[in-house]
Amino acid sequence: MNLEINSLAILKKGQKAKIKKLHAKGKLLHKLLDMGFVSNAQIEVIREAPLFDPMQLKLHNYNLTIRRSEANLVEIEEL
Amino acid sequence: MNNIKVALAGQPNCGKSTIFNLVSGIEQHIANYPGVTVDKKIGYFKYENNKIQMVDLPGTYSFSSYSLEERVAKNFILDESPDVIVNVIDASNIKRNLYLTFQLLEIGIPVVVVLNMMDVAKRRDIEIDSKKISQMLNCPVVEASGAKGLGGKDIMKNIVATAKNKDNYQEFKINYDELEPHINNIEEKISNINLVQNSRWLAIKTLEGDSTVIERIKKYKSDIEDFTKKEENSFHERLDKDPVSFLASYRYDSADIIYHKAVKEKNKDNQTLTQKVDKIILNRFLAIPILLFFMFMVYQISIVWGYKITDYTWPILAAFKNLVIDILPEANFTDVPIITDFGIWMVNSANALMNYLPIFFILFALIAIMEDVGYMPRMAFILDRVFKKFGLHGQSTLPLVLGGAMVGGCAVPGVMSTKGIADDRARMATIFSVPYMNCLAKVPFYTLILGAFFKPDMAIMMFFISTVTLFIAMIVAKLITSTILKTRETAPFLMELPPYHTPTFKGVIIRASQRVWVYIKKVVTIVLAVAIILFAMLQFPGLSDESKVKFDNKSNQVLNSFDTKVKSSVYYEEFNTKEKVSALLNYYDTYRTKRMTATSQDAAKSVDEDFLLKNKTFYKYIKPKRDKEARKINKELRKLSSKRKAILRQIKNEKVENSILGMTGRAIEPLTQFAGFDWKINVAFLSSFAARESAVATLGSLYENNKADNMRAEEAMALNSGYTPLHATAIIIFMLLTPPCIATMIVVKMQTNSYKWMLFAIFFPIGLGVVLSSLVFTLGNIFSWSGFEAMTYFYISIVLLTVIIALFPQKSINWDGGIK
Repeated sequence: MNLEINSLAILKKGQKAKIKKLHAKGKLLHKLLDMGFVSNAQIEVIREAPLFDPMQLKLHNYNLTIRRSEANLVEIEEL
Repeated sequence: MNNIKVALAGQPNCGKSTIFNLVSGIEQHIANYPGVTVDKKIGYFKYENNKIQMVDLPGTYSFSSYSLEERVAKNFILDESPDVIVNVIDASNIKRNLYLTFQLLEIGIPVVVVLNMMDVAKRRDIEIDSKKISQMLNCPVVEASGAKGLGGKDIMKNIVATAKNKDNYQEFKINYDELEPHINNIEEKISNINLVQNSRWLAIKTLEGDSTVIERIKKYKSDIEDFTKKEENSFHERLDKDPVSFLASYRYDSADIIYHKAVKEKNKDNQTLTQKVDKIILNRFLAIPILLFFMFMVYQISIVWGYKITDYTWPILAAFKNLVIDILPEANFTDVPIITDFGIWMVNSANALMNYLPIFFILFALIAIMEDVGYMPRMAFILDRVFKKFGLHGQSTLPLVLGGAMVGGCAVPGVMSTKGIADDRARMATIFSVPYMNCLAKVPFYTLILGAFFKPDMAIMMFFISTVTLFIAMIVAKLITSTILKTRETAPFLMELPPYHTPTFKGVIIRASQRVWVYIKKVVTIVLAVAIILFAMLQFPGLSDESKVKFDNKSNQVLNSFDTKVKSSVYYEEFNTKEKVSALLNYYDTYRTKRMTATSQDAAKSVDEDFLLKNKTFYKYIKPKRDKEARKINKELRKLSSKRKAILRQIKNEKVENSILGMTGRAIEPLTQFAGFDWKINVAFLSSFAARESAVATLGSLYENNKADNMRAEEAMALNSGYTPLHATAIIIFMLLTPPCIATMIVVKMQTNSYKWMLFAIFFPIGLGVVLSSLVFTLGNIFSWSGFEAMTYFYISIVLLTVIIALFPQKSINWDGGIK
């Protein structure tokens, strides 16, 4: 693994980031795009679920939840 | 009259349903799209001189082909080409909603945009310039609030105006800059094919890799995929970007532009109510207790209190039953006409199901409220991690609770509530897991067995029974998701957590009634058909001639002894023939049943009056008062009545034993003997398929001892059956695993849309039940365990197995990608 690449999955509560690239393909890629995971969009981690997975994000001014396994495919740049 | 066909589209949680309810009134139709389980809601209504047919498309974030809902929505647009598309937008969240709007506009069908939830937007101090949006999108924009009932007329006006002006419709285009030449190339390539849709839209969809659209174009241009691939590659080489991501980014950017030009948010930094509530509801430490509390309340309100309501509705059903019995021909002493037997059987089967209607109505209303409020996805968010381990989904929580995660749910609403689960594999697994829960109708059966065989350990046994099912369901879910459901489509866990909303009364009532109606229509009809089959299987071939003679003699004996006892009476001529005695006896028995169902003093009085009116001569034997002679007859009548009941029961038992069902029960004895089941248990299980309640009734009637009329069924079973507690444990384990009633199987068929899966849902648990109960019974015999020990070992093994499965890492998901 390239250590310089950060994925959304490593973010903690309250952290903000900018989306750089999606490493998903096919169905997941489409779903991510449809939900607003486009480059340069800003993401804020609102909280983690009581059992630590999935996580709740704020994106384009709305809330959504994503499992860490999927968040792993979103490359980000920390702000 | 003009016919206008309208498609209603919008993203999930935009309030589409409230807009649909607002304009379409109560008369709506709900059906499934052919071949899929997605709801199709259609409303018909008139406006001015137009007949409008409005189809509520499933809520989608986008218009690609990547989910069932999207495919359904797109196929409707492609196949039915509506005149107008109404696009509902959440006014408090315009930016994201516009993403879908752009895709709808590109299709080339006139669009009317409805800005819903204007009240919410105003409350949050969001100022929206709808005229500006209308200008920029080049389509009518209507402000509305479905929850407050505002804007309905405006929407209708704009639909009609847009439909009339359809031919002058000006196409809307987003300029995709660098991608434009590629779009043009594809457009040119497909320009001469015979599809009615806008060619620019088709070209864009092709670049997006939309399989539905590509399939359609392929019929005319078989090389379209290669051609598009080349365009994609040259675009990629030039800009190092994929068309799919590029298109999405561009749409979001365009939405951003509109948002900035037409929307002003004054209180951007203020916390919304949703955020405040979420702080508590989703709090790490409070979330799970709150969720458990809500689940408990749903269970308490619908199942427990709902069951109390059936105290009031049951008399209505009982009255219906009495009415039917009154119409049916009466019995001539022990000679009961088959039509009477049949009529009573059918009414009993129907009533057993109708009795649940109040429970279902409350349950469906509560589900509708939770859906509207926005708690459902939060529930999934809280518990997803637990369920994920077993191939289920956070959204499986509610179906399992409704099915009876503790004791006493009902699998019908449980299976019906799996509809919203996005992940198809998890949805299927949930459908097959819910029937393992303990339903309300199984409880009397457990009580019977525990009362008969486990008196001292009743509490701990009940604990085993109520909790082990959840573990079994988890294991089964894991088992089938990693085998037969392995190749099923799964969906990434990406869910919106919508803002909280107050549900509308009308919407909740409409939805609850619709679901109850679906239940009545589909379930009751099929269940009654099965009831007919079961009746036939229990009736034929009937008694042998020999037995007939035997029972005739018995009844004559009883009648004769009655005759000699009452011969000296002054009223003797009122019952000196068999017919007269039968009539009197029937009169006596009906009176007793009616008096028993009468709940109040007044009702009892009116029963008395009715019977006095019906037959004055007979009435004196029922209420003999001071008439000594009549009192004597009354006493003899009571004896005669119980003797007749005993003979009828013997006849019934012999009939069951010789019936097709009885023979089936015997035929499978060689198989079920390993579990310790004799044919009686087999018959009880077979007949309880129509409704679980009848397992107790069948067993009770099979074990009733003629002499012991005051003996309870538990004691009778413990004494007369020859079973040991180990037998009882095997029976309980089988009951835990057997599928619930036929009604559940019908809803499984509805939700999976396949008879094949329904049969699987029937036979897999039966097979599993036979294997496990045989295993426990055989091992128990070898090591001479007591019934309680056997159950304890069974429980411990199941829990251990569940824990081991949970510890195993899950297999990776079946979609591509990843940072390597």
